[in-house]
Amino acid sequence: MIHSTCLVQAGQISGETEAALRNQLAEFAQRAFAAPAQINWIVVPVGSGFTAGKPSTSSVVSMRSTAPLEQTTREALLRELSDVWMAETNCSHDELVAVISDPAID
Amino acid sequence: MPLYLCNSAAGAIDDAAKSKIAADITRIHCDVTGAPPQFVHAFFLENAPHQLPNGMSAALLGSIRSGRTNAQKAQIADEMAQSIHIHAGVDLEEISVTTVDTKASWVMEGGDIFPEPGEEAAWLAARESKHVASSEG
Repeated sequence: MIHSTCLVQAGQISGETEAALRNQLAEFAQRAFAAPAQINWIVVPVGSGFTAGKPSTSSVVSMRSTAPLEQTTREALLRELSDVWMAETNCSHDELVAVISDPAID
Repeated sequence: MPLYLCNSAAGAIDDAAKSKIAADITRIHCDVTGAPPQFVHAFFLENAPHQLPNGMSAALLGSIRSGRTNAQKAQIADEMAQSIHIHAGVDLEEISVTTVDTKASWVMEGGDIFPEPGEEAAWLAARESKHVASSEG
């Protein structure tokens, strides 16, 4: 299972786009990690998101890999994940933070 | 990155306080670490899926780049807790501020892998050059 968290600003992403993104993220997780995605979708309420202290239009998408990744692999996956997100939302690079982390070391 | 997520009990932090706390979070993080303000995200949630620690009314979790010292993290925690206390009126004993380290190399922002601490100026300059080139292209 790939744990994924999406943080989006309220009113920025329609229900239709959210559904499409969920499907795209699930497909990405299968392609990248051969595992299903468990998506935690969090909407930041109006007036509650700030970047540089000003109202934010930024989204965050993060996934935790099932195994440590080589950096070249991670960078390619981050680029693909960003492309997936931007294609569905029409946001710019500057409005997206993408994270692919290694598994936690307990 | 950094991403500061503030989870609070419903009504504990009103919108006016959020704006002031977000400004403080940005200023404090930049003062302590030297990071540029445009890197700092502060999002406020109420009763978010990650539950509030026992007895807490507000919990601020900062995902910050690896490489900060324990003294820097302690200063960030102290000053941000004070900000929430001052602007939202929440008792200091009911405010939790913690940070977790995230490797810069795990993060892509603005289409590029995030810079290591201390390499921000070159990263921003390269990003600016890309913007100029794309606007001219």
